Amino acid sequence: MEFHDNYPQYETMYQHDEAHGKQIRSKLWKVFWLLLAITLVELFVGFKATSWGLLGGTFLKFFFITLTLVKAGGIVLVFMHLIDETKFLRYTILLPYSVFIAYLIFIILVEGTYCGYPHNKTNLDKNYKIQQIVLRNHHAQPVPEELKEGTTEKEIIAAEKDMEERSHAAASETNEE
Amino acid sequence: MSHAIEFDEKTAWHGGQSPFRISYGKMMMWFFLVSDALTFSGLLCAYGFIRHKYESVWPVAENVFTHFPFVTAHIPLAYVGLMTFILIMSSVTMVLAVEAGHRNDRKGVTLWLFLTIIGGFMFVGSQAWEWYHFIEGTATGAMRQVWDIDQGKYVTKLIHGANMTYNEYGVPQFANFFFFITGFHGFHVFSGVIINCIIFINVLIGTYEKRGHYEMIEKVGLYWHFVDLVWVFVFTFFYLL
Repeated sequence: MEFHDNYPQYETMYQHDEAHGKQIRSKLWKVFWLLLAITLVELFVGFKATSWGLLGGTFLKFFFITLTLVKAGGIVLVFMHLIDETKFLRYTILLPYSVFIAYLIFIILVEGTYCGYPHNKTNLDKNYKIQQIVLRNHHAQPVPEELKEGTTEKEIIAAEKDMEERSHAAASETNEE
Repeated sequence: MSHAIEFDEKTAWHGGQSPFRISYGKMMMWFFLVSDALTFSGLLCAYGFIRHKYESVWPVAENVFTHFPFVTAHIPLAYVGLMTFILIMSSVTMVLAVEAGHRNDRKGVTLWLFLTIIGGFMFVGSQAWEWYHFIEGTATGAMRQVWDIDQGKYVTKLIHGANMTYNEYGVPQFANFFFFITGFHGFHVFSGVIINCIIFINVLIGTYEKRGHYEMIEKVGLYWHFVDLVWVFVFTFFYLL
């Protein structure tokens, strides 16, 4: 068996000249503008979601998750150069991860559905419910049906008044200081 | 023998070299990142589970993170948008440092790495600001059942801000997950900045010039991009959804 120590120099394998560098740089900036544009779109939709009545909806969830995955792809494949690596390495990184996470998400969905059944729900302090109704009413956000059920109109109005009085008291206290 | 296995000479792996065509250090960095990605995915999945359980009373991020520096108005999402911009920006400066390293351009590496470090410090500072306002809370406050040690029972009290036990904005689990996930990510950013600083000093004193290649920038860059990648997911699941 022959012995040799002329291994390839992996450290310098990906070096390139100025002309090639220019090409790579323009590609990197393109990906950056794409990431920035996606982020701005996400922020805009997130900002408008309430008034468009999309908040908490399935469409919004899939919309955001899809855009996030596009961004993640841009970062992993281009910024981390995974697309330039050998096919073997690419799948060694991506496949085990994807399999584990797909399984984890599957478990979470199954268990999450189970704990969402009415008889499995945890009894919550009424303060949490009233607070969410008050907050969402103030900022014109949709209030879930199940929240409205337990609390009466009177209670909410009283809670709102109470919160306002306390905030005035807190404000005057800080003024005195 | 007639049953010899035939194989293509061009694609066969002859041994004596990595089938990945990648150096040891870079491969180990990738393996570390996969394990770290699994950790973060586990945390985010747990977050999703608890959020689903308390769906009806889970605070809407728009009602929690409404502050912006030097402005008193109610502007949701703007501050976290700025933080995301800072991190994406520092990610692109890092990848440009890696590219400069591939051309053995010491000046380019110095410039871009320096900008990356600045971006990292800005992000860590922004997160500290965000935590401060989350812990401090609003003047309005909220009513909570608080354990009174003298009376030996729960009494309804007005509380401000959030900590591990009480959360002004909603169920305490929201604050717990916020502290743990953004804290874990912030710690990653912080250690990334420290590593970047060490590498920056090495670039300045010419360690990689002597070595003949700037592969270390690439390895550290992988870690830095991973931090950005995690933030993309935290941003979506914590602030947008």
